[in-house]
Amino acid sequence: MNDVATAPAISDQIMIRPPSDNLILEARALDFFYGKSQSLHAVDLPVERKKITALIGPSGCGKSTLLRTLNRIYELYPDQSATGRILFNGDDILHDRKTVARLRARGTTDATAEMQATNMDISLVRARIGMVFQKPTPFPMSIYDNVAFGVRLYHKKSRSEMDGIVEQALRRAALWDEVKNKLHSSGLGLSGGQQQRLCVARGIAVEPEVLLLDEPASALDPISTAKLEETLMELKSDISIVIVTHNLQQAARISDYTGFMFLGKMIEFSPTPDLFSNPRLQQTRDYVTGRFG
Amino acid sequence: MSAFDMGRVARRRGTNFVFVALCGAATVIALGALALILGSLLYQGLGGIDLKIFTMTQPAPGSPGGLANAIVGSIMMCAAAMVFAVIVGVLAGTYLAEYGGRTPYGHAVRFLNDVLLSAPSILIGLFVYQLMVKPFHGFSGLAGAVALALLAAPIVTRTTEDILNLQPAQLREAGMALGATRAFVVRKVIWRAGAAGLVTAGLLGFARISGETAPLLFTALGNQFFSLDLFHPMASLPTTIFQFALSAYDDWRRLAWVGALLIAVAVLSINIVGRMLARPQARP
Ligand SMILES: Nc1ncnc2c1ncn2[C@@H]1O[C@H](COP(=O)(O)OP(=O)(O)OP(=O)(O)O)[C@@H](O)[C@H]1O
Ligand SMILES: [Mg+2]
Repeated sequence: MNDVATAPAISDQIMIRPPSDNLILEARALDFFYGKSQSLHAVDLPVERKKITALIGPSGCGKSTLLRTLNRIYELYPDQSATGRILFNGDDILHDRKTVARLRARGTTDATAEMQATNMDISLVRARIGMVFQKPTPFPMSIYDNVAFGVRLYHKKSRSEMDGIVEQALRRAALWDEVKNKLHSSGLGLSGGQQQRLCVARGIAVEPEVLLLDEPASALDPISTAKLEETLMELKSDISIVIVTHNLQQAARISDYTGFMFLGKMIEFSPTPDLFSNPRLQQTRDYVTGRFG
Repeated sequence: MSAFDMGRVARRRGTNFVFVALCGAATVIALGALALILGSLLYQGLGGIDLKIFTMTQPAPGSPGGLANAIVGSIMMCAAAMVFAVIVGVLAGTYLAEYGGRTPYGHAVRFLNDVLLSAPSILIGLFVYQLMVKPFHGFSGLAGAVALALLAAPIVTRTTEDILNLQPAQLREAGMALGATRAFVVRKVIWRAGAAGLVTAGLLGFARISGETAPLLFTALGNQFFSLDLFHPMASLPTTIFQFALSAYDDWRRLAWVGALLIAVAVLSINIVGRMLARPQARP
C-alpha cells in the first residue's frame, strides 16, 4: 500500500510528526467523499497522547469533515464514505468486522477490504472519542440529565456519584456557577454560549480518551472562551484533544501541534511554535500572517 | 442611485393593499362560517344539556332519555382506535423518518400511507365490514374501533414522519457521538424533542375520527341500549346524531343537536389540553 504517512507523495507537504510511539489516534491517507465529490485527499493526522492538536485552514477546507471521520459519525449518512485508515490505539476503527464484511459483500476489490478486521463496537469507540460540535446541541432535557446522558449509557452510578460527576463536568466546563441552582431546568433555556459549555460538560463527563472539538468557542464571549481554553489545558492531563479553530491566536495559545489544511489536503503539520513562527510553505505563511484570500 | 420610480412604488402599494384585503376577506369568511356553526350548535344544543344526557340511554320518541349509551360507545371506540393508531402510527412514522425512509420499501410504505390518508372513510367502513363483520355475522364495537384506527393511523404516521424530519440532524449526531445507538437516540432524544409534534399527530388523528359516521354505520352499527361489550353492536354519537337528526320527532332532533355540541366540545377541549401538554419547555 502507498503509505503517505511515511513517504509524503505530495511534494509540497510538510509533516513534522510527533513521536510515533506516543500516538493515540492517527489518520492515514484518508479520502473522504460526500457522494461522489471528494472532500479529503490523502489526509494524514497524527494525534499525540495527552496533547492538544489544532486544525486550522480556510473555510471549506475540510476541517469539520476530518473531525467527523475520526469518530465515524459521518456514517449516519449513507452517501458519505471514507477510505484510508484511522488508528485508535493501534486498531483500525474504519475497518471493524461489520464494515469489512459489508465491503466484501459489495465486492469491493480495494485492498482495504482484504485487510485484517478489527473486532470492535463503533458505539463503544464513540464513547471513548468524544465530540463537541460547531453548533450547540443540548438535548431536550434538564441540564443535569444532559450531562449525565453519556455516563448513564455505559455506567451504573449511584445518585451521589452521579451528582459528583455532573458537578465536576460542569465545573470543568466553566458552567457550574451559572447553573448550580437550576440543574433540573431545561438545557434549552440556556444562552447559546452556555449551551455550548453544557455540550462540553456532556462530552467530558464520560471521560473520553480523545475529545474532538469543532470550533467550540465560536459562540462564546471572550471570558467564556478564556475559561474554556483553561479547561482544555487542564483536561490535557487526561485527555488528548483535537480542536478545529478559526482563531489563530487560540491555536497558538493552547495547542502543541497544529495542522494547516487547504482544499481538502493536510498541507503542513508541525509543532505549534514551528508552524506559527516558521511556516515552511507559502500557503501556510500567507494564512498565519493573515495575508490569505 | 437614481430617484425612485414613484409610479412603481404606488403600483406596489396598490398590489399590496389588494392582497392584504383578499387575505382579510378570506379569513373573515372562514371564521364567519366557523362562528355560525359553533353559534348554531350552542343555540340549539345548549338548552338540551342536563344530567339526563349523561345518565340515561336513548329514549323512545316522546319519553325522557339521554345519550349515555352513545357517549360511552364513542369514548370506548375512539380510545381503542387511538391506542392502536398512535402505536402503529408513531412507530411507522419513526421508521420512515429514521430508518428505511429512503429504501424502496420505505417509499412504497409512504406512498400507500398517503393513499390511505385520502381514502374516503366509507371505503374503510366497507373494507372492515367485509373483513370483520360479514365473516362473523355480526356488527361490533371492535369492528368500529378498527375502522376508526385505520382512518387515524395514516395521519399519525404522516405527521410523525414530518415532525421527526424537522428535528435537527445535529441532535442525532450529538447523541450517537456519545456512544448511544440510533434506537436509543431516537427514543430518548428525538421523540422528546418532537414531543409537542407527536401530541399534535395524535390530536390530528383524533380530530379525523371523532365525527366519523359512515364507517361506523357499517361496523359498529349502533345500539339503543347501554353496552360496554366491544364484541357486540355499539352506539356512538355520530351514528345516533345521524339517526335522530333525520327522524320526525322533535325531542330526538333536540338530542341530535346536543350530541353534535358534545362532539364539538370534546374535540375543542382535547385540542386545548393537548396543546397545553405539548407546550415546549413545560416538561420538568
Ligand atoms: N453535507 C455535505 N454534502 C456535500 N458536501 C459537503 C457537505 N458538508 C461539507 N461539504 C463540502 O466539503 C468541504 C469541506 O467542508 P467542511 O465542512 O469540512 O469545511 P470546514 O473546513 O469545516 O469549513 P468551516 O471552517 O467553514 O467550518 C466543503 O467544500 C463543503 O462544501
Ligand atoms: Mg467546519
